[in-house]
Amino acid sequence: MFSGNNPHKDVEVSSPPDDTVSALEFSPPSVPQTFLAAGSWDCQVRCWEVEASGKTVPKAAQNMTGPILDVAWHDDGSKIFMASTDKSVKCWDLASNTAVQVAAHDGPVQTCHWVKAPNYTCLMTASWDKTLKFWDTRSAVPIMAIHLSERCYCADVDYPMAAVGLADRGVCLYSLEGKPAEVKRVESPLKYQHRCIAIFKDKKTKQPTGFALGSVEGRVAIQYVNPTNPKDNFTFKCHRSAGTTGGYQDIYAVNDIAFHPVHGTLATVGSDGSFSFWDKDARTKLKSFESLEQSLTNCAFNHSGQIFAYAMGYDWSKGHEHYNPAKKNFIYLRPCFEDLKPRST
Amino acid sequence: MGRKKKKASKPWCWYCNREFDDEKILIQHQKAKHFKCHICHKKLYTGPGLSIHCMQVHKEAIDKVPNSLPNRSNIEIEIYGMEGIPPEDIKEHERQKTGGGKASDSDDDEPAAKKKATSALLGPGPSSVTPGILPTPMGPVPPGMYPGPMAMNPMMPHFMQQRMMMPGMRPLFPAASIAVSTPSKPTFPAYSNATISAPPTTSSAAADAKENGDVKPPAANSCPLVTATGAGSKIIHPPEDVSLEEIRARNIKYRPKPKPDAPSTPVSAPPMITPSTSQAEVAAHMSAAVAAARQQQAAAMRRPMPMGMMGMLGQVRVPVPVSMPVPVLPVMPQFNLMRPLQPGMLLPGGMMPMSAMFPGGVPGLPMMQPRFR
Repeated sequence: MFSGNNPHKDVEVSSPPDDTVSALEFSPPSVPQTFLAAGSWDCQVRCWEVEASGKTVPKAAQNMTGPILDVAWHDDGSKIFMASTDKSVKCWDLASNTAVQVAAHDGPVQTCHWVKAPNYTCLMTASWDKTLKFWDTRSAVPIMAIHLSERCYCADVDYPMAAVGLADRGVCLYSLEGKPAEVKRVESPLKYQHRCIAIFKDKKTKQPTGFALGSVEGRVAIQYVNPTNPKDNFTFKCHRSAGTTGGYQDIYAVNDIAFHPVHGTLATVGSDGSFSFWDKDARTKLKSFESLEQSLTNCAFNHSGQIFAYAMGYDWSKGHEHYNPAKKNFIYLRPCFEDLKPRST
Repeated sequence: MGRKKKKASKPWCWYCNREFDDEKILIQHQKAKHFKCHICHKKLYTGPGLSIHCMQVHKEAIDKVPNSLPNRSNIEIEIYGMEGIPPEDIKEHERQKTGGGKASDSDDDEPAAKKKATSALLGPGPSSVTPGILPTPMGPVPPGMYPGPMAMNPMMPHFMQQRMMMPGMRPLFPAASIAVSTPSKPTFPAYSNATISAPPTTSSAAADAKENGDVKPPAANSCPLVTATGAGSKIIHPPEDVSLEEIRARNIKYRPKPKPDAPSTPVSAPPMITPSTSQAEVAAHMSAAVAAARQQQAAAMRRPMPMGMMGMLGQVRVPVPVSMPVPVLPVMPQFNLMRPLQPGMLLPGGMMPMSAMFPGGVPGLPMMQPRFR
């Protein structure tokens, strides 16, 4: 296997996609094995089984007619939803290895999330067509369509909360209880373009209570929906090079954020090719890692918090001129349970 | 103001087409909206002036005039109030206002007459100043033309002695060395003492991201991404304030191909969109592509969706009460009767035996593709 650039000697996922990874998700706890799904700009979603030994076995792949922008697992682990620039979302039934369209937009679909409520399930999709739609996947007509003020750039769902980051730097929060409804629009705590968003839970109640928002300006905002104290909300800088050319600091985009499902600490991956672990309650960095050769575009934790996956590939941060289709793309896995333990305060 | 107003025509801003009652207000508007440095908030007098300022003081290049229309964002064009507007744009504006009723002759005469007057007025005046010396970092002179190091401070007091202009006068500067689109535009704004005496805060290293946070960065997509949060930092991102995915998706390599079985809608391959394509053009292309794709999609969606290919087995109910704008489908039966049950398929309420799902475990399924390329 071509080992490429792997300074941390992490497990390299076999048969990686042929173009930059755009989405990375582990299978839900409802299935005993661990599967990893990755969507890519090569228009394909691939699925591997990750064995306990660290061996990754390619299982299947599905194509869409445009690059994939997001993937989501059905809560029972039997299906993968795939959102594409071809303006559709398809549902890939893994048993039959067939895919059918379940959603449509007027523009590329940036995000898709499966909503599992006690009394209903549905698929939430958000697009550059400035709409947020909810789908009963059996119907070609959405059960609800909400107009957004701008294109969706990122979204996350953690029942009963959904958060959508927009191109105009707005963040819209929704309650999914009973049925989706907008709760409020939050003015962005960040001054630059939103890139990624991840909901976190309250340590005690285990209920979604806020979100982390990453921007193109090497900064993450931690924002509580209802902070007890306004100072609970804060931002921190990350993914910046320490004074390079001529004393300048290069500031990179935060491409993805993921919260550890057990510890509540978070990981960020950046355009600078590095990933870092943070404790938002102790407001401290837990660990940072040397940069890889190319940008890191996505990251994910498996449901038990044992495995951290991150994808390396060109993210277009320097324009099309720096795109080299010959460069290989990689997905790496590393054990992470210990590294992400919170700093005891 | 000391200038002839155009007859029956309110001053308007070339950069954004807004109209104003008064040229003075127009100039204030331009200084605040188009010629203001996003890093240190200094208001310059012209587009080229802003460009030079940013280059010298902040070491950062600007390629578009802030808050300008896509076709009016050329930073090199020298506009001050109503001065410097290319004649064809003036004509176009008049046409748009009056539907072409206005005679074009008068419009042509005015700017020409004004220019002559200005040069005559200033001929004997500041010609003592060498062309290479600029009063403030606002003249359209490339940095190479400075006689010495680009030190702003020592030069400005020097200039002050030489050239105390009356408000309203515009010094003549050689613009020949600059690639300005309309060569006959030597007019320059008056310099106020206040501006000169306050040297720009160079290397505002103290101005870290926090400080600059007070400035509201431009509204999404209206201008280039603010690419520096201080004198010593640079955001690694293409200049357009549009997501990386959007920029990438415009690339010809990633544009969706028309579906092979789509109805014969005349969807010609959209013209190559280069990164330098203006926002307006891209928007036009995208909306054309979307409209065409929508047709295809409508056709595709009309085909009966295979019921329950989703295989949403289990207790799935979708209540979504009345406020929905569309009718809910009746709850699907638990099984998809159209698709034969395969061994290893999801059984109601049960866990999926994953081991049987994948290649090798499920006989009779022709579409398995276990191997990646």
